[in-house]
Amino acid sequence: MKSAPEPPLSRRVAIVGAGIVSPLGFGLAEADEALRSGQDRVAPVTSFSVDKTRCKTAAAVDDTRLLEGRRTRRERRLHRVSHMVVDALDELLQTSGNFQPQIAIVGTTSGGMTFGERFYRSLAQEDSRAPGWIANYPPQKAIVDALEKFSIDAPVQVIANACASGTNAIGQAFAAIRAGRYDRVLTGGYDAISELVFVGFDSLQASTPEKIRPFDAERSGMVLGEGAALLALEEWDMASARDAEILGEIVGYGISTDNHHLTQPNPDGNGARRAMQGALETAGLAPEKIGYINAHGTATLFNDAAEGKAISELFDQVPVSSTKGMMGHSLGAAGAIEALFSLIALRGQFLPPNINFRSADQPLAIIANEAREADFEYALSNSFGFGGTNASIILRKVDA
Amino acid sequence: MITYLGRCSWVTPLGCDVDDVWRRMNADERAPLSSITDSDIGREYFVHRISAEAARTLANHPRLRRVSAISRFAATAGLAALEGTNLPLERIALVFAISNGGVIYTRRFYAEIAKANTASPLLFPETVFNAPASHLAAILGLTGASYTVVGDGAVGVSALKLAEDLLHTIDIDACLVVGAEEIDPLVCEAYRRWHLLCHPPASKTGMTLSEGAGAVLLTRSEQEFRVSAIDHGTNYFRRSELPAKMRRVAANLACPPGVGSANGTFLDDAEEKAFGQVLYSPKKFLGESVGASVLWQLIAALQFLRNAAGLAEISAIATGVNQQLGGFSLAR
Repeated sequence: MKSAPEPPLSRRVAIVGAGIVSPLGFGLAEADEALRSGQDRVAPVTSFSVDKTRCKTAAAVDDTRLLEGRRTRRERRLHRVSHMVVDALDELLQTSGNFQPQIAIVGTTSGGMTFGERFYRSLAQEDSRAPGWIANYPPQKAIVDALEKFSIDAPVQVIANACASGTNAIGQAFAAIRAGRYDRVLTGGYDAISELVFVGFDSLQASTPEKIRPFDAERSGMVLGEGAALLALEEWDMASARDAEILGEIVGYGISTDNHHLTQPNPDGNGARRAMQGALETAGLAPEKIGYINAHGTATLFNDAAEGKAISELFDQVPVSSTKGMMGHSLGAAGAIEALFSLIALRGQFLPPNINFRSADQPLAIIANEAREADFEYALSNSFGFGGTNASIILRKVDA
Repeated sequence: MITYLGRCSWVTPLGCDVDDVWRRMNADERAPLSSITDSDIGREYFVHRISAEAARTLANHPRLRRVSAISRFAATAGLAALEGTNLPLERIALVFAISNGGVIYTRRFYAEIAKANTASPLLFPETVFNAPASHLAAILGLTGASYTVVGDGAVGVSALKLAEDLLHTIDIDACLVVGAEEIDPLVCEAYRRWHLLCHPPASKTGMTLSEGAGAVLLTRSEQEFRVSAIDHGTNYFRRSELPAKMRRVAANLACPPGVGSANGTFLDDAEEKAFGQVLYSPKKFLGESVGASVLWQLIAALQFLRNAAGLAEISAIATGVNQQLGGFSLAR
């Protein structure tokens, strides 16, 4: 005998707060401005040697701003990714009022990996800083630090689904509220650039020595980025009842696993297509309702080919851009950052540009190089990762 | 909706047969200690490893040709937990709990970077946290929801909670929950410098690391045993907070905890302060397997339910050394 499922709940999920730190700036307002003007924040890497790597560039969060004012001994011991999450949470709490989550569901791939690197390099001597690096390196530490900073008592669920982590986290938070498992969830993602990951992508020749050119016919690979983005999700009626400002709505989530290869998507686009279809089905939307797709768009040959194929088969000339051209690929943070970029675009009714674009090799409606105004209600954001994890979410504009 | 416990399995330093390992634990048999040495710094560590004999029986599959040990442990436990199930694979989700992940390949990869600023592309993909889950999904042919969750020794509770949430939120019949860990001298050295490692003869307290995996199939199909509570717990920011937070978690469980996570570190004192005693801990026999440890606690709790006359319900508290804790209850 099978345990009967509970009656299907389909509660609405409101976004009642948001915060972001990325190479495109600190806070939603700076991100909005950078997206509209198509900023390119990719620059030479200076934090470790890139003498022997093909790729020499990445998009980093400005450390001068990130670390300023962190004066206490405890603050100085934390990893910079913890500071990114603290700042994102600070902005979120300012926009959401007294948001008290029941759980934090966040995504990351490597958290404070550079502390692990420092520890490895210190093995030859008994460095007194080593215990601090070890204690502050684990991937869950950044969100725990941020919760502590703001005295928020909530468990954390840290999803490490490679580059889909952030979207998986938001999607699972959405699904859990929708089904009545929780009423308020803090969600999002974070990651910081590290030498290990940088050299890793370089060793796979997935990163480029050239400009990152998502969906361009002559694309040659990705560059890394970093950052943190958080969203406060709340059951719609509860948010309305307390007169919370509702910034947007999440209406759909799809997840699939593509067993083709550990690091490459199935070239037929099957995994990506199933994730997008799942999101449309959850939302009860026809593909033509989608007005903007924030693509995963890493600018690698394989990703953009498979994703482009899936998009062109499912949608009819929906405007598409990858914002990774502006700030690189922030891995576990990417899905969360790009969800907020989609929210900013919906609220501002503009389409963020796919910069460094020259010519297409697929039948996609690429938003080439310049942002443009648009009238649309729904945006879809994709994230696909190593291990064949694929995730898509759909956001809806909410009228003020 | 009730979440039932389907088949479970483990790969431990005492063996891979659930009943046989349980019998040996009840006879107070401890997993043998073996030593590993960090060739870079010449330091020796004592750990509990999967025996060479057991290693020869681990899962074999083309996808596992170049993988790190953790993926083999996980595949073996995962396949055993699914043995005999006739559920359609597309209706089974996967949740994987992990702490240090593929640390053997991670160390090898970064060692190459530290020496030469460049490294082998064969190693990098195995360093990604969800690589073991990906291999397992590919071997089993699972194509739906797959999540890897990362955390400290309590991460398995996070995995159980996520699995239960998935059973309630998406149209699936079952969720396979796997926890796994592998040992590398780098992890031993990290815990040593953090003053948490038992390092005889210099120290007699502290934990002894171990490796392996645990797996359980959570299902909506009626079974003899069920999950009666999962408390996702919270975070502790200072060790002094731990006893009170342990008591808080225990209050949210279906009955007082009978299984704990004492491992020779400050967790033992915290349990004693919280409950007046150090609780029964499988870590005493099998060592601290971090990412796999909650699954081992769950299997131990289930074995109590199966074998202790008159016992209808049992709870476990899971506490990690890096700020996380939670708990669960099982019932007949």
